[in-house]
Amino acid sequence: MISLALASIRARLFPILLVILALTSSMALLLAVDRIKVATQNGFNQSLSGVDLVLGPRGSGIELMLYTVFHLGKPTNNITAETFNDIAQDPRIEWAVPVALGDSHRGYRVISTTDEYFERIKFAGDQTLQFLEGVAFKELNEVVIGSAVADALGYTVGTSMFVTHGSGALGELHDDFAFQVTGVLAPTGTPTDQAIFVSLEGYELIHLGWTNGSQAISLESLDILKIPKERLYPQTITAAYLGLSSRLGLFQVARSINEYSEEAVSAIIPGVALTELWSIVGSVDSAFKLLNWLIIGIGIIAMVTMTMTALESRTREMTILRTLGATPLHLSSIILAEITLISGISVVLAVGLVRLLTWVSIDLMSEWTGIRIELIWITVNELLILGLIVLAGLIASLIPAGMVYQRSLHQGFSS
Amino acid sequence: MILETRQLTYQYSSGKTLYFPDVQLRAGEKILIIGPSGSGKSTFLNLLSGVLPNQDGSIILNGHNYEAQTRQQLDQLRADHIGIIFQSFNLIPYLSGFENAKLSLRFSEERRTNVSDISASITQLAEGLGLTSEILAKQPEAMSIGQQQRIAVIRALLGKPALILADEPTSALDPVATEQFMTELTRSIDPSEQAVIVVSHNPTLTPLFDRVVQIGEAA
Repeated sequence: MISLALASIRARLFPILLVILALTSSMALLLAVDRIKVATQNGFNQSLSGVDLVLGPRGSGIELMLYTVFHLGKPTNNITAETFNDIAQDPRIEWAVPVALGDSHRGYRVISTTDEYFERIKFAGDQTLQFLEGVAFKELNEVVIGSAVADALGYTVGTSMFVTHGSGALGELHDDFAFQVTGVLAPTGTPTDQAIFVSLEGYELIHLGWTNGSQAISLESLDILKIPKERLYPQTITAAYLGLSSRLGLFQVARSINEYSEEAVSAIIPGVALTELWSIVGSVDSAFKLLNWLIIGIGIIAMVTMTMTALESRTREMTILRTLGATPLHLSSIILAEITLISGISVVLAVGLVRLLTWVSIDLMSEWTGIRIELIWITVNELLILGLIVLAGLIASLIPAGMVYQRSLHQGFSS
Repeated sequence: MILETRQLTYQYSSGKTLYFPDVQLRAGEKILIIGPSGSGKSTFLNLLSGVLPNQDGSIILNGHNYEAQTRQQLDQLRADHIGIIFQSFNLIPYLSGFENAKLSLRFSEERRTNVSDISASITQLAEGLGLTSEILAKQPEAMSIGQQQRIAVIRALLGKPALILADEPTSALDPVATEQFMTELTRSIDPSEQAVIVVSHNPTLTPLFDRVVQIGEAA
């Protein structure tokens, strides 16, 4: 039956190619959207590991996660260093790494923190941050950059740079104090690749003499070496990553921080916040999926319609086969084989197309969005989805196959 | 006996009933079924081939009584024991001459076992009918009427079915070509195992057959 179905397909190549094109595009779209979603989820899930709690101002946990971990949006509020130090003293907390955000450099976010950040913050399970070259910052004017920053800007160890006040492109430049790159981090596939790290003291230093977002006194008029070290410790920070000595006390510690009476702070569990985030994104994802399934449904309808339309012109062909001993079941099988072939070819083309598109856009996507899509052929889940589509096509093709069956039963050999 | 029909009748949904004469056909025999247009020649052919259900009377082909067969068994009987040649040859347009000829083996295991080498058998039959391998490779639209007719003959004969049914096979041919076609068809069959029924409205074919059966008496 397959060879006859193939020959029949060859004879009606153009309309069948159009149907294959429609089915391939819709299936490729479904696969692509799913892979982008999975890559985004993986990217988010792998961005932060080894952190039990994120401490920040009281408010939305998702928002705190977005601007601290994923560098999306702007911090809404700060917490005082005093509160941070007080909470960090809790014996249940093993380590605490503060971060202060606000400045940028050529579109890349500047994160001020301590050098402990590079030891404590992990990604993709339990992988620690590695230096591709150089070391962590030690001095006030030293800076560590992510791999994507180094690639995009062509910076290496020793490159000098100024930081822009604020995160917008139009911010005022801190051009009275230059930083020097001392380390470049190895790629992680997380937002860390797109970040610039300076010490809390260095960050505080460039903001000395700034009031209400404008520079009042230039650092050039000051003797930096004479500034007392404690004066350079920031009064406020944006957030802090906390590691507990035992994860058993996670909820208790989170509750006690949330009930902290001296300042409105909160502690969020990263996994919980991410789950909340996905539940919000989930409805958009469902809408996308629904749209995709509709497109696939239209493709299948087009395929069945084409087959049914062609039946009229194929009456003679079916009659000839009947004279040769083909049963109505044989004829229906030919129709089913044709539709299986069309769907199968579309599946193979869709998988190939998505792989090709992934291969072409993998670096571009990573650079533009920070999302790194895995270059794979097909997952078991995708195979099941595509199998379901082929099955739906086959079920739908029972209509024309049934028509052939019925018609051929009542048809004679009139020449 | 290859074929035997007794008191065969067929009633259309309009109520019109056709009565067909009894036919007995032995191996090597050629019968001409003759009758005017609309006399029921095609209906007779459809009944003999098992496509139309046998309403009344009996048909026995190579010992198989149609009444005792299911619809599927009748299809198989047709595939195994009957080769059909149409007036318009009915070749599948997207298959080559060779593939069209080979189609007859697709639905019959029995006919496949009668052919040890498909390619050689088709070539041998083709050569006997004056067709070259180049013509066999062509699609029907690139063939002449005569060539299409010969492909249809090869398809009907391949695998040695017991009964060859031909429906107005010479209607497009002149008298000389008609005689040549009948000679080639007769020469190509095995008289010890095969027999031929040709349906036509042309009485001039009579001398080319062993017997003539007239149909077309409506009641």
